This record gives sequence, C-alpha cells and structure tokens, in this order.
Amino acid sequence: MPSDYVIESESLTKRYRPHIMAVDGLSMQARRGEVYGFVGPNGAGKTTALRMFLGLVRPTSGSCTVLGEKPGSPHALARIGALVETPAFYPYLSGRNNLRVLARHAGVPYARIEPILEEVELSGRGDDRFKTYSLGMKQRLGMAAALLKDPELLILDEPTNGLDPAGMAEMRHLIRNLGRGNRTVLLSSHLMGELEQICDRIGVVKDGKIVAEGTLDELRHGTRIKLRAKPVEQARELLAALDGVGKVETRDGDTLLIEADPTLAAYLNTLLVTAGVEVSELTSVQNSLESVFLSLTGEARLHE
Amino acid sequence: MNSLIAELLLLRKRAATWILLGSWTAIALLFSYVFPYLAYTSDTNFHGRSIVLYMLLPQSLISTIHSTFPFFGGTMVLILAILSVGSEYNWGTLTTVLVQRDGRLKFFLAKIAALAIALIPFVLAVFALGFLASSIIALREDQAIALPPILDLLRALGVGWLLLAAWASFGVLLAVLSRGTALAIGLGIIYGLVLESIISSFGRRIDLLDQISKGLLRTNGYSLISSLGGSLPEEAGPGGFSGTMVSGTQALIVLGVYILIFISVSAVVVKRRDVTGPS
Repeated sequence: MPSDYVIESESLTKRYRPHIMAVDGLSMQARRGEVYGFVGPNGAGKTTALRMFLGLVRPTSGSCTVLGEKPGSPHALARIGALVETPAFYPYLSGRNNLRVLARHAGVPYARIEPILEEVELSGRGDDRFKTYSLGMKQRLGMAAALLKDPELLILDEPTNGLDPAGMAEMRHLIRNLGRGNRTVLLSSHLMGELEQICDRIGVVKDGKIVAEGTLDELRHGTRIKLRAKPVEQARELLAALDGVGKVETRDGDTLLIEADPTLAAYLNTLLVTAGVEVSELTSVQNSLESVFLSLTGEARLHE
Repeated sequence: MNSLIAELLLLRKRAATWILLGSWTAIALLFSYVFPYLAYTSDTNFHGRSIVLYMLLPQSLISTIHSTFPFFGGTMVLILAILSVGSEYNWGTLTTVLVQRDGRLKFFLAKIAALAIALIPFVLAVFALGFLASSIIALREDQAIALPPILDLLRALGVGWLLLAAWASFGVLLAVLSRGTALAIGLGIIYGLVLESIISSFGRRIDLLDQISKGLLRTNGYSLISSLGGSLPEEAGPGGFSGTMVSGTQALIVLGVYILIFISVSAVVVKRRDVTGPS
C-alpha cells in the first residue's frame, strides 16, 4: 500500500565545510495530493533542501524518501517535475528544442511538448532562442519543463520570480489547478500572499530547520483583539493585569493590540467602560501569515 | 539511446561545434598544404624540394594530415569537449537535465558517447579536404592522383580518432574538475600548447624530463603516427616536436589508458559530487 507521504525527511542535514550548515536536521512530511508551502528567509536552507529531495545534493546525515524512493533514483525522478531556482536552459536552443532535449532525457514523447507550450502560453515564441526570452518567459518555460512528465510530484522553487502581477496571478492559478487531484506540489517561496492563496499546509524554515508546520489556520492560530480607547495608558494597565490576557501592545497612539480570546471582547468592554475608559473601537484581528512568519523567523524588528 | 540523441542534438545545434570544426580543417589545410605548397612554388632552389612535393600529393595523405592531429586537432577537440561538458555547469543546465529521468552516470555516458561520435566528422573532414587539396596540387604539378591503400586509410582514420579522443577526454576531465569552461580551457591550452613542448624540449638535456615526456599525450600521439610512417612537424614550426619517441604499440596503449583514466575519473566525480555548492 503506498504511503500517504510523498516526501518524508528525518533529521536531514547538509553541512558545507565545517562552518556552513545549510540544512540542520530538517524533518517534514508532504502528503499526497496537497500543496505544501516551504517558506523561510533567504539563506534559510529551502533550496538546499529541495536539491536534496531531487538528489542533486547529498545529505551529510539524516534520511529522506521521495515517492517512496531514494532521492535522485531514476524511478522517482520519472515521476517528479521540478523547477529549482532560476530556470536553466541551453541559451542557443529554442524553447521548443530545449523541451525536446529534456523530453529525450526523460523518455517522454515529443507529442507532449506542444500542449505544454500552449498551456504556458509560449507556443508563439517556441522557435525563438532561449537567450532572447524575458525572465517571465524563462520562468514559464521552466514550468513547461517541470510539467513535461505529467508528474505525480511537482517541486517548484520560487516559480513566480520575475513575473509581472498578471503573470504571478496566472502562475498561482496554474499551481492551484495542478495541485488538485492526486498530484502533490511542494512550493518554495518567500511571498506570503502567494503561499496563503495556494497552499494547504506550510512549513516555516529558519536556519535550516522547520520551526513551524501546519495548515494556514493552525499557523495563524488565535486571533487578537484591536482596541481603541482613551486614556490608552489606563486601558493598558487594566488589561495587562487580567487573567486570560496575554501581551498588550500599543499601536498608533490610542490603539492597543491584545492577545486574548475574541469571546472576551464584551467582558473587556464592560470592564473598561466601568473603569471610566472611553472605548471607541473593539474588533477581532486575525494574524496574517506574514506576521506569523516574521515572529517565527525573528525578522519582525526589521519591518517595524 | 534517447539521451544520446539529446546530446547529439545539443552538439549539432551549437555554433561552437561548427566553428571549431571549420577552424580545425582550415588550420590543418593551411599548415599541411597551403603554406608548404606556397613555399614549394616560391623557392625553386631549396634543398629537399622534391620531398616536399611528394608529401603534398594524395599518396602521402595519411602522413601529411596525421602530423596535424596531436597539436592542432588535439587542442580543437579539447576545447570542444570542455565546452560540451563545462557549459552544463556554467549555464546550470546540469541541474535541469539531472532532474529528468536518467541517473548521473547514464547522462554522463550519453554525453561522452555523443562526443565520441562528434569526433568522427573532425577526422573525416580533414582527410576529405586534405585529399581535395592534394589532388589539386597533383593536377597543378602533373602528378598522378593515387590514394593510399584502403586498409591503411581506415587504420589512419582510426588512429586519428584515437588521438582526438585522448585530447577530448582530457578536456572532459578538466571541465568536470573545474565545473566550468574558462579555467579548463585556459589550463588545457597552456598544457597542450606550452607545457608539453617545454618538457619535451628540455628532455633532450634532462633525463628525468625525457622520461616524463615519454608519457605525455603529444609524445605518444606523434609516436603513434610515426609508427604508421607519418611525418613529424619541423622542430621550429607550429607544434614542433623534438622529444624522444616511444614505440607505436606503447603509444597505442598509453593513449588508450589515458582515455580510460580521464573518463573513469570524470564519471566518478560526476556521480559522487554535489551538483552545486552552497547557495
């Protein structure tokens, strides 16, 4: 019986020379049929991890299976489509001939090429040399190459890089469609909006480790309460002393952001009004993936 | 087989392949026929003039054309091999190809097989154009047009291919070790055009260098063609050779072993080493 997990890694580690730890004990599972987002700051180890899943880079320690096989085994690669980092093709060949070369290596019939060029809207430029392509066109050719094998698993590293807003929206739509059914998509990106719109589950990578993993709702766990009050300092002191209320932050002068269950809102309102605090706004605020990411990766200070 | 077809398509569509083939045949013709014939026609009194003419006629095709293989031919296919293998690293296409279906070894062997096939036109083209040039000279000088015996010709083609294959496999190794083209071409040309000549020339006075020179690619190349009755370039001319010769059999074995070692080491490195370093 096939495993539910398409990718399973356990304590996967990659060290380059003694002092460069690219991936540090990464353990994760991507389930069959889901779109799994890999998010992390630049240099977090996402691309190295993807390269290990594809057998391009050998782990220093730890274990990993992809589609039940050792990474890089021909049997697994035949079922994987991948776009890793910037799309790399032969610059002197046309887009169509580049796909022919890859089709030969992949054992895929040439008949697959035309529909795929149509799908990524490159059939009109298919005979032009790759080196004349814009970055967006190169990205779309990379996507075409990844889809050539009609893969069970699609590994995409920053697939919207270089695309204009319309192109990004199209790419997101394409990836969402590709992730339907039994196909698994492993998507690496640092664009939170992109991941929020596409992914079923997300793994947050920092310093080569998964620091959080779950569905969007699980990651954005809990909501906060936004309160506008006068005098704001009195409100802050009253709230900070209460059980069931976590951190209270002051924002924009008379606004407080309170870590608390939204069902407490009515109670808080009564308490503040009784104490003589004027409450002009009380709303629940859901954490964005971006704020979760920034707090998990410790980069919030850069954005404040 | 599919991968081999893909690799042949890459070589066929690449302008550099045709530029190197054109350059090689042009240089081979210039130094083997055009310049010697100009010298022959412009100076009617120099010693050994009749030997020069004999070397320019079709019956001397093998020895005349062969003499260009270890120097010019070797350098050209060294560059061809480096471009073919090293560009995969430069352009990052190795990553794209290795996530298709084939294992690393299968991909590498397909590339080597394609290179081996691509060397065939490099051999045939200079022989064909050499025959054309020598026939024109024969007609101008009222000499008979006679090809060498067919078996000798086939053996000469095989030897020509072997000489080029040894240099190409050296290029493959340099490209794999340096993960690119620039450094590999630089080192390859310095080795092929400069280092071997210096070692061979000092070998006449220093015994150790003489022994070392007997193991060099060019020494063995010249020794092999010399064992087939081929001529050597003049010491002072381009590709001039002044080293000690080895026997034809020894040269054949040494060149074969070189090819085996260069390709085997390259294959092991391709198979075992990470495709990329830290990003």
